[in-house]
Amino acid sequence: MIRLYDTIEPNVIDEELLKLAVEEQGPQEAAGQVAKQEGINFKDVKSLQLDFQNILRIDNLWQFVSLRKLQLDNNIIEKIDGLESLVNLVWLDLSFNNIETIEGLDTLVNLEDLSLFSNRIVKMDAMDSLVKLQVFSIGNNMIDNLLNVIYLRRFTYLRSLNLAGNPICEDEEYKLFVTAYLPDLVYLDFRLIDAHTRELGDAKYQYSIYELKHRENQIQAKLEEEMATVAELEKHKAAYVEYLNGPFLFDSLYSEDVEAAKLAYLPGVPELLETYKTKFVEICQNIFDYGLVQQEKRKAEVAIFYECLEEALQENRKQGLKEVEDFDKIYTAYLHTIRNSNDIQFVDNKMSECAEEISRLFDRLMTLEMQLVEQLEETINNFERNIIDMVGVFVENVQGLMAQCRDLENHHHEKLLEISINTLEKIVKSEFDEDLPDDVRALFSDKDTVVNAVGASHDIHLLKIDNREDDLITNVTSWCTATVDKVHNDELDRNRKRVKEINQYVDHLQTDLDNMDFGDLLD
Amino acid sequence: MEVLKEKVEEEEAAEREAEAEQAARKAAEKEKEDSILSQEELLDLEQKLSEIEVHIPEIPVAFTKSTIDTSTLPESYRTNTPKEELLIQVADNFSRQYAHLCPDREPLFLHPLNECNIPKFVSTTVRPTLMPYPELYNWDSCAEFVSDFLTMVPLPSAIQLPEYLFSPTSVLKYQKGNCFDFSVLLCAMLIGAGYDAYCVSGYASQEMCLMDLTREMCPLLKKPKKVVEEKEKVIPKKYAIKPARDLRSKFELAQQAKKEKEIKDAEEKKQKEEREKILEASKPPPDPMHGLRIHAWVLILSGKREVPESFFIDPFTARSYRTQDEHFLGIESIWNHKNYWVNMQDCWNGCKDLTFDLGDPLRWEFLLLGTEKPYLSLMEEEEDLAEDDDIENLDKEDENKNFDMPCSWVEPIYISPKDFETRSPQGKKVIQYKQSKLEKWTPYLNANGLVSRLTIYEDVDCLKPIEVREWYKNREDTLEMRQMDKVSNWTTEYFKPGHFLALRVHTYKSMIPETERTMEFYHKARVDGLVKRTETPRSMTEYYEGRADFLVYRHIDYGPRSKKFSLSTVETNPRPMLKITERFNRNPEKMADDDVDERIFVVSDERIQLRYHCRDDYITVSTREFLKRNEVDNKGNKIIMTPEMCISYEVEPREHTKKLLFQYEMMMDLKNEERLSKHQVWESEMEVLEILKVREEEEDTHNLTVSIYDTKRNEKSKEQREAMERQAQEEHMRQVEAELDYLAPFLVQLPPGEKLTRWQALRLKDECLNDFKQRLIDKANLIQSRFEKETQELQKKQQWYQENQVTMTIEDEDAYLTYCSQAMFRIRILEQRLNRHKELAPHKYLALEEKLYRDPRLIEYLKVFV
Repeated sequence: MIRLYDTIEPNVIDEELLKLAVEEQGPQEAAGQVAKQEGINFKDVKSLQLDFQNILRIDNLWQFVSLRKLQLDNNIIEKIDGLESLVNLVWLDLSFNNIETIEGLDTLVNLEDLSLFSNRIVKMDAMDSLVKLQVFSIGNNMIDNLLNVIYLRRFTYLRSLNLAGNPICEDEEYKLFVTAYLPDLVYLDFRLIDAHTRELGDAKYQYSIYELKHRENQIQAKLEEEMATVAELEKHKAAYVEYLNGPFLFDSLYSEDVEAAKLAYLPGVPELLETYKTKFVEICQNIFDYGLVQQEKRKAEVAIFYECLEEALQENRKQGLKEVEDFDKIYTAYLHTIRNSNDIQFVDNKMSECAEEISRLFDRLMTLEMQLVEQLEETINNFERNIIDMVGVFVENVQGLMAQCRDLENHHHEKLLEISINTLEKIVKSEFDEDLPDDVRALFSDKDTVVNAVGASHDIHLLKIDNREDDLITNVTSWCTATVDKVHNDELDRNRKRVKEINQYVDHLQTDLDNMDFGDLLD
Repeated sequence: MEVLKEKVEEEEAAEREAEAEQAARKAAEKEKEDSILSQEELLDLEQKLSEIEVHIPEIPVAFTKSTIDTSTLPESYRTNTPKEELLIQVADNFSRQYAHLCPDREPLFLHPLNECNIPKFVSTTVRPTLMPYPELYNWDSCAEFVSDFLTMVPLPSAIQLPEYLFSPTSVLKYQKGNCFDFSVLLCAMLIGAGYDAYCVSGYASQEMCLMDLTREMCPLLKKPKKVVEEKEKVIPKKYAIKPARDLRSKFELAQQAKKEKEIKDAEEKKQKEEREKILEASKPPPDPMHGLRIHAWVLILSGKREVPESFFIDPFTARSYRTQDEHFLGIESIWNHKNYWVNMQDCWNGCKDLTFDLGDPLRWEFLLLGTEKPYLSLMEEEEDLAEDDDIENLDKEDENKNFDMPCSWVEPIYISPKDFETRSPQGKKVIQYKQSKLEKWTPYLNANGLVSRLTIYEDVDCLKPIEVREWYKNREDTLEMRQMDKVSNWTTEYFKPGHFLALRVHTYKSMIPETERTMEFYHKARVDGLVKRTETPRSMTEYYEGRADFLVYRHIDYGPRSKKFSLSTVETNPRPMLKITERFNRNPEKMADDDVDERIFVVSDERIQLRYHCRDDYITVSTREFLKRNEVDNKGNKIIMTPEMCISYEVEPREHTKKLLFQYEMMMDLKNEERLSKHQVWESEMEVLEILKVREEEEDTHNLTVSIYDTKRNEKSKEQREAMERQAQEEHMRQVEAELDYLAPFLVQLPPGEKLTRWQALRLKDECLNDFKQRLIDKANLIQSRFEKETQELQKKQQWYQENQVTMTIEDEDAYLTYCSQAMFRIRILEQRLNRHKELAPHKYLALEEKLYRDPRLIEYLKVFV
């Protein structure tokens, strides 16, 4: 039923309303009293009912971050809004409102049960992020396109769908269509789909479904392929040799080079280009392979280091636990004797012994920690040196290889220059027979233009090579520093955490002892 | 040999007699001098003395020829084939040559007499047989079977070869034999199973010959050899941290180490001396006939059946020995079913230096040049043979090549399945070891399923048992082994899986509840995953595994029972629980600070203590303690929750745990858990009682299960089943009959397939009724005729009685009277039957008519007449 919103004064979600609702719906009786004593924090509330409140707009719910169940049914809401922060929401009820489009549900990735019953929705859309959806009720709306049901195929966990009361239900094929296109669905319109209907549906829509599935599979396959190539690329990037396993670099040399295209028309240049290309690509391939191998080595090195680090930490932890355990036993024994004795002098002695024991524990634990810090420092420095060496070697080799590329380029440039000058001379002497397009001819008007053109091309190439080299080197060195820094920082954090823990524990023990002191004395 | 000995003994006896007589005479003379004995009395004395027969003492376990019934043995046992005769000649020839060449050697064991007094060559007595029992396929189980199956009889003379060698079939039949019998039988079975086995005739130590195991440890008590695992070399890792600096003085450490070493050395020396002393003491007394005692055993050469190394088997005890073992002091000769070899090596050092390459003629002199030499022989030998073939005389070839060992004269060895199962004669066997005694029974012989018992004694004389172990089989309560320690009075019972209470081990001192005991279970078969439960009078500890709530350990301390006047059992007056401690495993789904590691319900103090698990990189743990108080505050209101009721230490303080609501809810949960735990504990106690009760019941009623694959024992149940089947079949037949169509005979007369016409139907009905009427009449007539016959006979008899009344004896009269009464009875019955039949006949007729009218096939035609 659609209620007009100006007959009754619409309501707003405000602090008061929320507080009241939360209190009513919080823990009951004895627990409730305790809760009232303390006050309920909105960010701990797990479920909230705001139905029949005549609410016009959803707002002010940003605090309820741990909300799992929200009921806003039977209000006069027109737009789904203000639910962005409720990421833990599992059950959302927006039935019997005035909603016209589905929107604003993008952050609700945990949603399993959604009810939009009795609204004014025309199209099922914008629910792409609701991957966990299991129960969906959108009956009594205005959905008129049977093909819209195909949109619901993406919800692999959808088991119960209610579309009753929509215009599409008047279609005589409605049931069979839905049954056929949503094969995993179990309940349609809250009735179990029986095998017979399923068979009929399948039989009827066999071919179209088959095609649809085929298309979907293709999309899926393409997606997977893309993912694979992306992963591959990531791997290469990690080795800093991306795009070096083929003529990519070489092509990039010529991508912005206009002159080279023109010069390619000269006789002998294509072959020259070919040989240049193959050699260049060869060197690139070498760099690529070398880079991958080095990457593996680096990874292995890092892995070994972390493994050994882990071992050392575990060992230390074991020792620490043992110390604490031993202390515990002795301490409880002392406490026991203290509790059972009445002699004040004896109790006093025991107390001081306890205090001593606590300080001894502190000493021992801190010693362990200090030892560990020393040992780890040495190891970390060792690792740092090794990694820096490795990276250094890598950089040198790559630089060497790149130098080879540059040599090739220079060689090519010389040859090209030679050919161009020959051609120029030939043209000047009008001995040049071959056909050249006009703009190329224009190039050979005088020596300067030719030389400039060739020179420009050469410069561009060199620039590209240099850039690539720089990229590689910068990336590698930054990785190196990042890794080393991380190791240092981790160690620092760990140390601080441990020291804090020890101090906290010892403080706690001492306060306990002191309190007991008072308690006993009072006795 | 025996004959000679008997003669010798007779002579001795005669001598003794003569001596005795002489002595008597002398005494008599003396007496004559001394006393006033008359001549008559003297003669009397003499006569009396001569009547004294000196009996040659019989060897109690004589297994002589006379004990065997030779008449049932087949022909091959009683005669020699010509080939066998030739073989014996060859053997004699060989032995003559041997005696000539080696005059210092003992005579060989070549052709002893069999049970029919026929000399048979030893190799032919070995008949390789493979028997269908899988146990007899491996040498160790085969040897064990032979040692269990046969009873040992010592050799008639310890230093001389026996004269008789009975066939394996007789040995098996009587289940008795000396070492040669044992060896021949075992050898035959092993060769049949594919081993390269030989019978060995030689010399052995006294213990071996007399099957004296009293110096040996029982094999069941021998601890299994610990496999020394090589410690894997730990690859030093590149970044392994160096150990912390050791700030102790190295010099001091060295001094300490030296001192400790000295002490250890001194101790070791002392221990070694002690051990040597014990060894000396346990050495056997020297044997006067050492080196002369004849013994026979089995040798298995390596090669066949994947035997890696040659070894000896002692057939009495089924143990294997290396060929260098010091129990074996010398070998004279060996044989198998194909050939006979004499050992030419010097046995001054026992068997330690012997090689067993039978193809080497210098070391092993063979009897027959058989075509199948042991494969150990060098290639040259075979070449020689080949040369022989070509170059040598045909005579020699014919003579040697064609003369193989003749086939064995022994019937194939057969052991019936029943005998195989019974194994030991009468199903029982006792073996005495050093400080222990082992008794074995066949399964199902003892009503309680006992199959073997090992008693371990404290002293060498086996007087004081310190431990008894019993093994059971086929018991319904799945009890497998029971171990009773007599010193500490602990009994441990081991069960196989399958007991409905999932018991595995039960260790106890007494069966009274609430005493010390431990029970272990098959935790996978139990719902609660209980692995072990230990109970003492004041506590109970349970260990779990694989539980969904990760509980691994629960320990309950009880307090003393409060005094009650009535009998207190666990149900009526349970022991009060003082403290329940529970420990849990780490639940990876929860955070460490929320995952309880140990939970103590101090019931007496009304406190609950929680300790949580340790976080991954931390060394301290969070703890929490609750004080349950149900007090009222000064206003009289019930206190629900105050901050003092919960004391906690947290490794990393979190906000929501400080809230009172959180603590309150946790306390409510814990109260619930406490209740559940108490209930579980109570259930555990109940279970213990139940187990004790069940065990006592099971002990009283011995029930042995019979496997369904056991065809013999299942005969009874099979018969039952067959009877049931027969019954069922009869029922079925009866049912079938009931469904028989009563109209079928009449319908058959009509042409088949046609629909009934009306007059056909009428005729059918009439025929049926008539037939039935006829039958009724016939029956009546039959009864009538019987009746008349009886009455006639009775009358006749009565007449006869009256005629002969005077001359009859009392027995005849009695017979007549009984006959009369029986006849009267029969007549009365017949009369009754006839009357009843007459009464019922018209009813039956009418019933049939009704049925006909109602029959669906005829109803349409007969409708009019109803």
